[in-house]
Amino acid sequence: MATLICAAPAVAVITLALRPDQGDVAFGGDLLRDGAIGTALVVALGGAGAVVFGAMAAWLVSLCRFPGRGVFEWLLVIPLAAPSYVLAYAYTGITWHGAAPIEVRGLWGAAFVYAIGLYPYVYLAARAAFASQSACALEAARSLGASPWRVFWEVALPLARPGIAAGAALAMMEIAADYGAAYHFGLTTLSTAVFRAWYAHGSLDGALQIAAVLLLAAIVFLIVERRARGRAAFGGGSSRWRPLPRYQLSPLPGLLASGFCVALIAFGAVLPLAWLGRLALLHGDLGDVVQPFVNSVILSAAGALITLALAAAIAVSARRSKSIGKLSLYGAAMGYAAPGAVIAMGALALFSIAREAGWIGGLGTALALAALFWTYAARFSAAGVQPIDAGLARLSKGLDASARTLGAGPWRRLIAVDLPIAGPSLAAAALILFVEILKELPATLILRPFDFDTLAVKAYSYASDERLLQAAAPALLIFLAGLAPIIILTRGIARARAGQA
Amino acid sequence: MSFSISRRGFALGASALALAACNQNGGASGDGEENFVNVYTARHYDADRQLYAAFEEATGVQVRALTGNAEQLLERIRAEGDATEADLFVSADAGNLWRLKDAGLLQNVTTPTLEQNVPSNLRDPEGAYWGFTKRARVIMYRKDAVRPEEVATYDALATPRFRGQIVMRSSTNTYQLSTLASRIERHGADNARQWAAGVRANFARDPEGSDTDQIKAVAAGEAQATVVNHYYFVRLMKSEDPADRDVASKVGLVFPDQTTGGTHVNISGGGVTLHAKRRGRAIQFLEYLTGDAAQNLIAPANTEFPIRPSITPAPELAALGAFVEESIPLDALGRHQAEATRIFEEVGWR
Repeated sequence: MATLICAAPAVAVITLALRPDQGDVAFGGDLLRDGAIGTALVVALGGAGAVVFGAMAAWLVSLCRFPGRGVFEWLLVIPLAAPSYVLAYAYTGITWHGAAPIEVRGLWGAAFVYAIGLYPYVYLAARAAFASQSACALEAARSLGASPWRVFWEVALPLARPGIAAGAALAMMEIAADYGAAYHFGLTTLSTAVFRAWYAHGSLDGALQIAAVLLLAAIVFLIVERRARGRAAFGGGSSRWRPLPRYQLSPLPGLLASGFCVALIAFGAVLPLAWLGRLALLHGDLGDVVQPFVNSVILSAAGALITLALAAAIAVSARRSKSIGKLSLYGAAMGYAAPGAVIAMGALALFSIAREAGWIGGLGTALALAALFWTYAARFSAAGVQPIDAGLARLSKGLDASARTLGAGPWRRLIAVDLPIAGPSLAAAALILFVEILKELPATLILRPFDFDTLAVKAYSYASDERLLQAAAPALLIFLAGLAPIIILTRGIARARAGQA
Repeated sequence: MSFSISRRGFALGASALALAACNQNGGASGDGEENFVNVYTARHYDADRQLYAAFEEATGVQVRALTGNAEQLLERIRAEGDATEADLFVSADAGNLWRLKDAGLLQNVTTPTLEQNVPSNLRDPEGAYWGFTKRARVIMYRKDAVRPEEVATYDALATPRFRGQIVMRSSTNTYQLSTLASRIERHGADNARQWAAGVRANFARDPEGSDTDQIKAVAAGEAQATVVNHYYFVRLMKSEDPADRDVASKVGLVFPDQTTGGTHVNISGGGVTLHAKRRGRAIQFLEYLTGDAAQNLIAPANTEFPIRPSITPAPELAALGAFVEESIPLDALGRHQAEATRIFEEVGWR
């Protein structure tokens, strides 16, 4: 059911794309081929960067002790709050013509912006995975005389692989779906091709066809990812949980570790924030941002809760059922790889069908909001499902069986067993969803009610009009609005380590 | 305080105007309709909000706005069908307005006031959409590398003189499409293809960034010339950021084709939706937008040109000098859009 809700708009997109009697916009030119090559390149480069940054950072703060570790632990999440297109504008501005040794532009520029902006997805998932690893496994490895590196490569990393893979999948799908930064850097990707077909050719059908390719590619990608992960399934090991033993890094490596974290935070947050701050100060006038701020927070919180509930339902039911349930995972996840505007078109198409059938009237405020939440769920449920599923993957199979033996029904097992153990992952999922919706633009733009602005809408309005000075204040506030939940939740994750819960 | 008085004066004048329009239309406006008008608008300037407030003050009719991207607003209107909330659609490009008309989502409207306010080259021949501001597509050049007479025409940018010296925005952008569509209308498709190929051959880099980014690239010496909407340059001149003003100081502006048909102009305009629930209100607002009060308010605020020569443009615009604008049927920008896209793709200008 939850899957059906989440997958419907994406399925609508594919169905619309497959209608016969279409023009040859998508498949006639080189648009599709060039777009596919561009997407593959930028996803590979940006994704690899995000994995290296995120997994390294997670391992350092989870399993090592070095100066500043406690602060870095949550500061490292902050770049999550930065929309890619804002980072793109910021870095173009910061490194523009001789202002910096390297100019951030083109394919490499885009890969850098994606890596530095999206590594927190990997970081969060990997850290949750590291944090709930059995201390015994690590201690056993250590007592057998394994060096820290060997413990990392042969025990910690393989155990955390489901988490890292889940985070990487999110980051990569996010890159594939991104339009703003890709367009800004002049890349030809499937996403920019979607909008080229739509805006330049005036062909929504062509756009939907290219989007459908993106959606199907996402499913294939997810199946491959899950297969690879499936082979590496581990049993729960010991059920005794203790705080993780951390390696004390000696001064030089400690300093390097600190430097690495500082660099990630500086490039992912401080530098772009400072740039935005400067522009906002230059402009002076904050403009009308209070109501958009309130709107953004309410919309994001409500959207995150709804999506989280659906995502949890999908993840849990998929884990309990055998083969068919797995399919639902992919179905729900599709929407994440497509640009939000395309999913919104799917939702609009469904709305249109319902209206023509006489079930509903026009898109009034209530219906518009409902359609908006629906689109959020369709677009972002994967961002919730992935971490929750990775969390559940650590559930020892024996545990569920024991609960069953003790006569616990499915709901009881869910509340008493599954959820506490998946707690850190749930928190991570909630955080990601909140920030995702905070940053979300196209669906909000097209499906919101009259006179209802969010921060992202505000920032877009100015930025699309090339008024970057005015766009700075709302963009800055997106960062700041994302900060509070990031701090609360990341601390929560640290405290809610399964053993201590 | 004198400001509020003069604003009241505006309001009185405008409501008198609206009243007059009412009478002329034999009650087409207002009667029995709710006291607001819903506008789906692809313009999101702060100035527009001032305008809504001024309209409300003048007429008591509230403007409810849904801002967004033109192509997406079109799809929302299409999906909403006869249940749509939209009464008026507003866009900053004639090509987008044409797409709505082409999709059968606008209705033809003609009133004496609109006909009197809007010059014939700035409106749809059948009255599906009406312009209320004007923007010129101008050439920007680097002052220390180019003499203005070297870039007196769009054609110049396609000559070998500028090999490796031109930057342009992506042709996904609607302003770029309209520019080529106007050339197709004026000189035919073959000429347009040759021109696009010539400019493409002169690229200093593949298209990236916004209009403002093109101007910055020229100022920084990455190229010598580009084509942009005039107000982006004016904004750089007036910017609070000294770096922007520095950029503006390095580049010059030319209104091209002054002796060969005139500079390409585009409009911001609006059209009444086919299923408007408050058709009278929508027309009333459209008339207000094209009337003197709104023209004096909106054009300076966004440094766009007013639609009529009788209205004084903002001082920064007046300083750019008068210019000859092209005179082609406005709907040509829409009719040739598909062909323009094809040509851009053929010559590899994405």
